[in-house]
Amino acid sequence: MQWLTLLQKEMTENVRNVKWIWVPLIMILIAIMDPLSNYYLPQIIDAAGGMPEGAEIQLPDYQPSDIVMMSLGQFSSIGVLIIALMTMGTISGERKSGVSELILVKPVSYVNYISSKWTAAVLLTLVSFSLGMVASWYYINLLFGELSFGALMQVLFFYGLWLMLVVSLSIFYNTLCRTPGLVAFLTIATIVLMNLVTTIFSHLLDWSPNKIANYIQQLLISGSVPSELIGAAIVTIVMSAVLLIASVYTFKTKDMAA
Amino acid sequence: MALLTVQNLRKQYDQKTVVDSISFQFASGKCVALIGPNGAGKTTTLRMLSGLLKPSSGTISFAGMNRHDDIRKYIGYLPQHPVFYKWMTGKEFLVYVGRLAYMSKQEAEQHAFRLLERVGLSEAGNRRIGKYSGGMKQRLGIAQAMIHRPKLLMLDEPVSSLDPIGRRDVLNLMDELKQDMTILFSTHILSDADEVCDELLVLREGKLVESGTMNELRETYQTAKMELGLERNLAFYRDKVAALPGVSACFIDRNLLHVSAQDITEARQTILSAASDEDWPLTSFAINRASLEDMFMKVVND
Repeated sequence: MQWLTLLQKEMTENVRNVKWIWVPLIMILIAIMDPLSNYYLPQIIDAAGGMPEGAEIQLPDYQPSDIVMMSLGQFSSIGVLIIALMTMGTISGERKSGVSELILVKPVSYVNYISSKWTAAVLLTLVSFSLGMVASWYYINLLFGELSFGALMQVLFFYGLWLMLVVSLSIFYNTLCRTPGLVAFLTIATIVLMNLVTTIFSHLLDWSPNKIANYIQQLLISGSVPSELIGAAIVTIVMSAVLLIASVYTFKTKDMAA
Repeated sequence: MALLTVQNLRKQYDQKTVVDSISFQFASGKCVALIGPNGAGKTTTLRMLSGLLKPSSGTISFAGMNRHDDIRKYIGYLPQHPVFYKWMTGKEFLVYVGRLAYMSKQEAEQHAFRLLERVGLSEAGNRRIGKYSGGMKQRLGIAQAMIHRPKLLMLDEPVSSLDPIGRRDVLNLMDELKQDMTILFSTHILSDADEVCDELLVLREGKLVESGTMNELRETYQTAKMELGLERNLAFYRDKVAALPGVSACFIDRNLLHVSAQDITEARQTILSAASDEDWPLTSFAINRASLEDMFMKVVND
């Protein structure tokens, strides 16, 4: 009940500050950027003045799975940035401004407070991401060849888990510090660091959440779910859960007013 | 029976003790003022009572509350500078916090409506809070503190940031509210405390230096002075008065003889009988009670 009230407030807030408009729009934009620009590259080059006399470029013959990976590549850079920016103040901003003093002096359970914030952010992220991928999928089918609906659903599910982890990280940092900018920085820094560690110790970290995108590529090519993807998915879910529990814990040990 | 009992409440940040082992209690139905200069620890105390800060040590107990109960159910709290969601309307905010305190939607809406009326915001209730003035926010703040019918209403400096009109509004509102609930509020202005409260808790540098009813404090800190007006020879009579038993000091200022004494009743008798026996040219005789501010200064500067 209380959880629903909190969630409803988050949703209304995100509607009134038009997050429910700009986040899906940007996600769609970055998802369809690659399918369109790659398909129309020859025309774009012509329009820009064409190639010099005698020069020739061989454009690769893209498979649908290549384009999906390009779209996911945009999500892993710009998409993650958008998520970090959109969630950076969800708790820290309320504590900084002082609104949380009025809310948390009511008998609000910290678990409800944090999990409702998390749910609202995950919903916005996943809906926007799905809309973006559906748009990308539409252009892939139109311009590059068939990609099955089942494959799309698998992409949405597994990559969605990764984005959920990004949100969980941001929520965790939200409970740790009260400067929204710092929250965004720490979230992105952590993801960059995770990428680095995964790359360096690649052979040891088969189940690293950062490898989900690689495994999705394998999945699209082979058509079957690689066992490492299941492992990475489980690790991602466990990490998100641990981050949420840690968030509640840090919140409980903190003084709610400066 | 005491509604709220606080024992040895302490708050320490690193090396600095902000609130130092204070203990007090008060009964239901009282209006209590927590008074002290800026930085005395009033806000910290209220925040600990409201559950926003964790005490370093000490206990807070509420009548009828068992150990695992959430104290936040029974108290309403208004911070010194309340901040709201600017995108909500006043009514939406009240309903929202009411729902957070486990009220049904219908109940929260009905009560929000009544409270908006009570604090004089019925018309502004459907406007965005972002457009409210400081006084309106303060009144909405009081309404949100009362939405879940708390047993104790705590207000942190409810009037100090308001203009005279807003201040008057809020003081009148508090006067009304104290008829049906217990109020604990902090202030650094003694006359505000004097106006609405029954009991005083005086804080200085984190310590509780004095507590009691307004009249008790007046009696303790009474330093009554007498002022004598005389037609002529002030210096001559000054020496005469100074020699009388019971008079502790006597000086001339602005053509008046200022006399202080330990026992004002006794001193008055001796002076007046001397004056009538010797036929002094008296023009006026007055007893000045120490002003509230004098008393406040005396308590906090000790």
